[in-house]
Amino acid sequence: MNPLELTLGIMTSVGGFVDISELVFAARAGSTFAFALIWVFVLGTIGIIVFGEMSGRVAATAKQPVFNLMRHRLGLKLGLVTLAASLISNLITCAAEIGGVSLVLNYLVGWPYMLNAVLMVIAMIATIWVLPFKWIERIYGLLGLFMIVFAAALVAMHPPWGKIAGGLVPQIPPGLSTKELLTFAYFAVAILSAVLFPYEVYFYSSGGIEEEWGRKDLLTNRLTCIVGFGLGSLLAISILANSAIQFGPANVDPAIPGTAALQAAIPFGKWGLILALLGMFFAVAGAAVETCLSNAYCVSQFFGWAWGRHKKPWEAPRFTIAWITMFVLALAIILTGVDPMQLVEFAVLFSILVLPLTYLPLLLLAGDKSYMREQVNGPIAKSLGWLFFAIITVAAVAALPLFFLTSGGQA
Amino acid sequence: MKRLLLPVLLLAGCGGGAQQDLPSIGEARSLAAEWAMINDLAARGRINATYAHAMRAQLREQLKSAAATLSQPDSRYGEEIQTLLTEPDEAPPEELRTHSEKLKQIEDSLESA
Repeated sequence: MNPLELTLGIMTSVGGFVDISELVFAARAGSTFAFALIWVFVLGTIGIIVFGEMSGRVAATAKQPVFNLMRHRLGLKLGLVTLAASLISNLITCAAEIGGVSLVLNYLVGWPYMLNAVLMVIAMIATIWVLPFKWIERIYGLLGLFMIVFAAALVAMHPPWGKIAGGLVPQIPPGLSTKELLTFAYFAVAILSAVLFPYEVYFYSSGGIEEEWGRKDLLTNRLTCIVGFGLGSLLAISILANSAIQFGPANVDPAIPGTAALQAAIPFGKWGLILALLGMFFAVAGAAVETCLSNAYCVSQFFGWAWGRHKKPWEAPRFTIAWITMFVLALAIILTGVDPMQLVEFAVLFSILVLPLTYLPLLLLAGDKSYMREQVNGPIAKSLGWLFFAIITVAAVAALPLFFLTSGGQA
Repeated sequence: MKRLLLPVLLLAGCGGGAQQDLPSIGEARSLAAEWAMINDLAARGRINATYAHAMRAQLREQLKSAAATLSQPDSRYGEEIQTLLTEPDEAPPEELRTHSEKLKQIEDSLESA
């Protein structure tokens, strides 16, 4: 285990943890329900640590990426359904991220939103084309560390730490009306979905194969997931807590992503604002790249095409066409003029429906001794895996009714 | 007394569609408060002009779309949102906060009705 590699891997995970959906839902959850939804972020983070570690272990041991397994484990028909659902979910998420990053660029330099979307897609295509996998991941992840300004802002605001700690305990705030209860439940489901986005596992496990992980990398995998995702989650919780302190009392339910950046401007002024915007810019751009590549990974792995950024673009032509097409389709969605915040809602909603189908084959394979040998799921990983599978299944069943009953959390 | 009267007056003036408009009223209330916060920080030199300009433009667009979705645009809240939209970009934060508070009162009354 190389300590430098490990540190960089962890820092990349921290900087790349927050995406546009987490940003939006953390800010809205804090302003609406103060600290009462912090525990959902903690729950989701434990879930993504469990499944992330599992997917990395499978990649390192069985040398199998997630979508390769799906076809074998779910069969062709159900596999195709999962593939189609994942492609749609990732495409909507990618469009939401491109919309988000274009808005942030608008706040930073003032260029028009649509022009930003086109420029960003060109820039991201160029980045993927030119850079090797490790550097694609690291550049966005490490620069996303500017998001730490949100945690610093929280400390500078002298928050009620006791109340924040109280938010770690699973709870439903007392005295809520039926409407408010439904909205609370909708936010809980949306946060779980945003933290457990399926693309994260597709990208992470495919990355393991790209980087040719073996058994020697198992500890790095475990530490990266636990420490990286754990610290990354603290950034999301900081955004929620800042929102509870700064926005809730001011009657602000942050409706646009730019409002979140004010959390750093209030204690630190212009420099805080710029750091927050830069952090948001790189974190969201990184998520756009990851969602786009995830779709190319999914489709290539499912159909057995040559894939990977360790190959030159022309050595894996169908994979290359897949990720470029993904960017073009996501851009086309943005250019229709659809509200990026609506895309965030749809991304979260669609993703939670796909989650059980994503995690079931992974859970089955990680528990299969014939593939995993001594790296098979132990009792803790097995229990946590099935527990989270049950949680996301319940969340998936509840997601659509809650969305309609609460008008997307606005009721 | 005012608190007791407000829901009654609102119900009389608004009718059933007002409940349907609650999400838009809440959105407009929040947008007004966000706008006030931006102008407050801008006046104190704590945010830069590019960001303030972009945010105000976006908030105004969102307000317009919230107003366009109202089933009762001639209601008291509809008029309040229209008045809000006539405010200049750099309107005093207190004035914007007053709009937000008025919309919050209407929202609370409709929710408790």
